[in-house]
Amino acid sequence: MPAGLAGYILRRLLTVPLILIVVSFIAFALGRLAPSDYVEIQAGTRAQPETIARIREERGLNDPIYEQYVRYVGDFVTGDFGTSAKYRLPVEDVLLPRLWITLQINIVVVILSWMIAIPAGVWAALRRGTWLDPLTIGLLLLPASVPVLVSTPLLQYLLVVKLGLLPSGGWSDAEYFGVELGIFSKRAVLPVLIMTLPAVAGIARYMRGQVLEVLDQDYVRTARAKGLPGTAVVTRHVVRNALLPIVTLFGFELAALTGGSIIVESLLGIPGVGQYAFEAIGSRDYDGIMAVVILGSTMFVLAMLVVDVTYGFIDPRIRLGEGLSE
Amino acid sequence: MQTRNLVYTLTAIAVALIVVIGGLSLLVLSGGDDDDGGAANPDDTGEEGPDLGDRIEGELRLFGADPQTMDPACATDAGSAEYIVEIFSGLVSFDKDLNVIPDIAADWVVSDDGTVYTFNLRTNVLFHDNSRRVSAEDFKYSMQRALSPDTQSTVGDVYLDDIVGAEEYSIGEADEVTGIKVVNADTLELTIKEPSEVFLEKLTYPTAYVVDQREVGDATCFEANWTLTPNGTGPFKLTDWDLGTSITLEPNEGFYLEPKPTLSKVTYVLSGGSAFTMYENDELDITGVGINNIESVRDPSNPLNAEYHQGDSLNVFYIGFNVNEPPFDDPDVRRALSMAVDKEFLANEFLEQLVVPAAGIIPPGMPGYNDDLAGLEFNPGAAADLLDETGKADDVDGARILTSGQGAAPSDILQALAAMWEENLGVTIEIEQEDFGLFLSDINEGNFTMFSLGWIADYPDPQNFLDIKLHSESSNNESGYASDEVDALLEQARSEPDEASRIDLYQQAEQIIVDDAPWIPLYHGRSSYLVKPEVVGFETPPFVIPNLRYVSIDR
Repeated sequence: MPAGLAGYILRRLLTVPLILIVVSFIAFALGRLAPSDYVEIQAGTRAQPETIARIREERGLNDPIYEQYVRYVGDFVTGDFGTSAKYRLPVEDVLLPRLWITLQINIVVVILSWMIAIPAGVWAALRRGTWLDPLTIGLLLLPASVPVLVSTPLLQYLLVVKLGLLPSGGWSDAEYFGVELGIFSKRAVLPVLIMTLPAVAGIARYMRGQVLEVLDQDYVRTARAKGLPGTAVVTRHVVRNALLPIVTLFGFELAALTGGSIIVESLLGIPGVGQYAFEAIGSRDYDGIMAVVILGSTMFVLAMLVVDVTYGFIDPRIRLGEGLSE
Repeated sequence: MQTRNLVYTLTAIAVALIVVIGGLSLLVLSGGDDDDGGAANPDDTGEEGPDLGDRIEGELRLFGADPQTMDPACATDAGSAEYIVEIFSGLVSFDKDLNVIPDIAADWVVSDDGTVYTFNLRTNVLFHDNSRRVSAEDFKYSMQRALSPDTQSTVGDVYLDDIVGAEEYSIGEADEVTGIKVVNADTLELTIKEPSEVFLEKLTYPTAYVVDQREVGDATCFEANWTLTPNGTGPFKLTDWDLGTSITLEPNEGFYLEPKPTLSKVTYVLSGGSAFTMYENDELDITGVGINNIESVRDPSNPLNAEYHQGDSLNVFYIGFNVNEPPFDDPDVRRALSMAVDKEFLANEFLEQLVVPAAGIIPPGMPGYNDDLAGLEFNPGAAADLLDETGKADDVDGARILTSGQGAAPSDILQALAAMWEENLGVTIEIEQEDFGLFLSDINEGNFTMFSLGWIADYPDPQNFLDIKLHSESSNNESGYASDEVDALLEQARSEPDEASRIDLYQQAEQIIVDDAPWIPLYHGRSSYLVKPEVVGFETPPFVIPNLRYVSIDR
């Protein structure tokens, strides 16, 4: 690895804590500025107001927000991520199993959607001007145009109630190879289906656009002119160059891997990160909200870093400002 | 050229539809295979229903949710208590007929002045791990823990406040609760401040249950790690709690009461969308029925109809007024609003008989329920006249009714109520939805003119409704209602030993309250549910009691 690259990565990494501090403070303050707190919500209507007040005091909920924030950060850096107020358990105990479930779903969704989208995009671009191009894109846009809030109950009704092909929702804790891999269970089919279908169109259209652009380039014409067979031109010259800008798109997907879909997970009752995020906000599970936010923003920052660095490797013209200094 | 493009696009969409639907079925069929180890072919998957391969003989499958807490000292809600009463136990409990029965206590003696309860404990009660007998010392520890300020329970002081010294201990002003005395390992003596007819009933609530000191130590309500593997004493053992996925109970072979639990396993499914769909899919043995499905289930031609059951539920849903602020400080204004509400329509037509209209406060099925209570009758003409006489119609117009909710549209019931007031009284009542937390704090602080709320029994006694919700000094009296007459009746009832006279006192108080109308009691919810034919002995109790040990599976 060139020395300049290491320095670049280091500089970028140093900004990570800074970004996290800003993001986490905003999330922290917003959470606590929301009316009422978890002690009040959990107490319901039965408790004595004096008892609630005493517990809030003991749990430090009456302290100024910046004091609470400093305490939170202090605990966080020493590895104490706080207590999920909803489950009354350490946050990591609640979040990690959910993270595993969300990861399984998202990884499969990403693989499936790219496997469909890239060939579909190339296929459509190469058939520009024929009816197959609008057909392919139209076909892919159709599921993408239906909000998951609509498609989820629709598919649930069709596949579960009417056809009886699938269980109605939830997640299986079935083990394979000694690991909980619910993704191999029938219960995973519905969420994967619902999340893959709309994801394809965006990538496919982007890919199609890139391919069309590359097709007009001089070097493609040159390759054709010197008599290379059509498939070789496409695989060696067109697709490889068209894929380049797509890497950015992939970065966003990478960043979203740990963030569950709030709607799909909640509607299907899948105990993933998205469902927890939704629950945590409603129950003022402050530390839970913080953990989800920090996890999400860390993933995002790191994914963007990976994208930038990868770019340098794929395209030697972009060497991260090296050319400028030398 | 343009028409050709249009034809292309339309063709594209049509083909898209065909391919998407075809693709879906393919995906589904191929996905269906790998779960059953490839044994099933797509044809029989449909018939058998999914995931049936791992059914266990004698297993009961229920729909559930992660409880707020599994710690008896901290439980504030029925959702938590439902699990806790099966896993833990206390001195006394309710049987199926809602009588207080001896549980870990074999029997008890009450002193002549009604303030000292001496419990003789059973000698054959072991903790689930069979390591140790439950002793009087365990009870002292458990009850003190629920009361201790260090535990941070919001309800310890609510259910155990009758005991001498409980209050001082709960605010950190005493080293122990003087009213809890360990006479010897098998004898516990509880002294209460004044005679109370509901003290034993309060002891059936989880806050008085016994927990294993060696396991719990000084854990607060917010340190619930131990509750993932609790060492209880109840009819069932918690064998697995996979957060958000499932809770599994297994019978406690050494349970000390008859009947002993016979189910081989109880599985609460915590994840998954609609319980009703899961029931139809044979993934559950019991499910509740809501308004969306009730019509189809009631249809005699529906096979599910034979599995449909309905039972009482001890609760009341009501509209409360802020009786200390105009315009609702005037009882006539409150009565007028009450008389303009057609509860029969609301309960029978609008809510499809899922509920029964409420004339008073005490629900049917509860001791003290008064069938002859004179409620404020629905009479739109008289209601309008009454409101006119007060001359306060303009003040009522635009009043807000506070409710908890997050949906885009407020509850249908409140909208129906508002329509009734509009039509019968010509006043517009606005509905204001608030997030649950904010709603609670506004209710507790009196920031409202009207609100909608429900109340569910902790124990089957009119005291639990009337004294707790409407005595002028109760912290649960949100509407701020204060009547010397009612207070006197309620206080007299607290220690009236004769059951019939006590009920009579409550019924007198209830009638005065209904006439004063600090609330509009709307309806009493009922439980509507489906039970598979092979489930024997299941009844949804009208409130939370340990009832799974009465259930068996006969297949």
